[in-house]
Amino acid sequence: MKKKILAIVMSVVLVFGIVCAFTACGDDKQDDGQKIVSDMEYIKEKGTMVIGITEYAPMNFKAEDGSWTGFDTEFAEAVCEKLGVKAEFFVLSDWDQKVNELNSKAIDVVWNGMTITDELKQSMSITDPYVVNAQVIVCKAENAEKYNSLDAIKDAKIAVETGSAGEDCVEGFANVTAVAAQSDALLEVESGAADVCVIDITMANAMTGKGTSYADLTKTASLNEEQYGIGCRKDSDTCDEINKVIDELMADGTLDKLADKYELTLVK
Amino acid sequence: MVVVSEVFKSLFEGFGVSLEIFALTLLFAIPLGLVISFGSMSKFKPLKYFVKFIVWIIRGTPLMLQLIIIFYGPGLLATWAANSGSANPAILWMSSWQVMDRFLAVIVSFVINYACYFSEIFRGGIEGIPKGQYEAGQVLGMTKTQTFFKVVLMQVVKRIIPPMSNEIITLVKDTSLARVISVYELIWAGQTFIKSSGILWPLLATGIFYLAFNGILTIVFGKIEKKLDYYKN
Repeated sequence: MKKKILAIVMSVVLVFGIVCAFTACGDDKQDDGQKIVSDMEYIKEKGTMVIGITEYAPMNFKAEDGSWTGFDTEFAEAVCEKLGVKAEFFVLSDWDQKVNELNSKAIDVVWNGMTITDELKQSMSITDPYVVNAQVIVCKAENAEKYNSLDAIKDAKIAVETGSAGEDCVEGFANVTAVAAQSDALLEVESGAADVCVIDITMANAMTGKGTSYADLTKTASLNEEQYGIGCRKDSDTCDEINKVIDELMADGTLDKLADKYELTLVK
Repeated sequence: MVVVSEVFKSLFEGFGVSLEIFALTLLFAIPLGLVISFGSMSKFKPLKYFVKFIVWIIRGTPLMLQLIIIFYGPGLLATWAANSGSANPAILWMSSWQVMDRFLAVIVSFVINYACYFSEIFRGGIEGIPKGQYEAGQVLGMTKTQTFFKVVLMQVVKRIIPPMSNEIITLVKDTSLARVISVYELIWAGQTFIKSSGILWPLLATGIFYLAFNGILTIVFGKIEKKLDYYKN
């Protein structure tokens, strides 16, 4: 009998433990459910906007003293100041998780030179475009002549970042490998696993050439032009609020100064 | 140019987190594993099958997936519940769920995962002790509990050392999965330099840390095995 009771107690403990694990141990901050809080109100109530980034020069990167800097860093800080919230940068390890990160409210916006694609528009609300970018082909310098157009790389082994605009450029090509990050795509080319990779021009400028591990890589043709936007939760009012602030910052010249500083082209 | 000392400073930082994950997982997974192994050997059938079902789920799915579900799951369900507009109290309650701390999510996932693996090792060890020993204990007037702790347990410990050291060495390397939910650890520390400075060797150098640590573990487990060698069975 004693055993049976022990067994029952143990099963209750187990079930409780598992339920607990799956519900983040009942963090009982119930908004009594009825009141609907808009996304912007939710962020303002917290007082901080958690901004999902990856380390990506010249948009977000570490300065000499270890603090964050870059075009998007300064841009985000300016916008947050106008919105009256604190900007908190959080580094995502996996760019592919950005929609999950948003929807689970682990972060509030994705703001990291994100190329606007139709695919992304389905899973998040994206602000007006602010910077123009292009996808470029990167290959070993000795092959630069060979891989100088989209047609020329049709049969080459191509590496792209999964879910990136570069991947869309080469859709349907025979030998495409999708890797976790743009820097991994460069590694594929450097190691000889791929002949070329298709990545952002901003990334290619920062990561190839003298003083890097990719000194023997070079960029050749520039493929489609594209635009950067800021990703918010789907149908969130935060998107409209940020758009308003962007208009203000465009008008008063703040963004022009930033674009000059980081050698980027604004969308006008 | 990046200075070598700077690289190793961040690698040690990342290694510290990996070690924390390692130590906390062992600390909680071993006792939980023992509880689960008792559950899976229980004579109370519903408990036994329930525990076996859980062990099947945990061992049957990748740890990487478990990390993603445990971290993002509550938050995603909350968003779904809030958008559903249902007045069902359970769904309303669900809409108040939040994502937990990332590091906590790693520990929870690792502890559940490893406890299930450990439990099977413990079960094998306990069931491998001949029944005759319990009968002998009974003849000598010992209770079952006494027989278990005074006679059986140390033999079990000796038997499970090799499979446990196997799992524990795997755990050291599995800590690198934490980066799936953006918890900074050793591999990520190494990878950062690819992105920021375009240099590769820090990532390759992380291997030294894993190798060295597993080397130490191998020696420690070898010593323990030797120490327990006086039990001949």
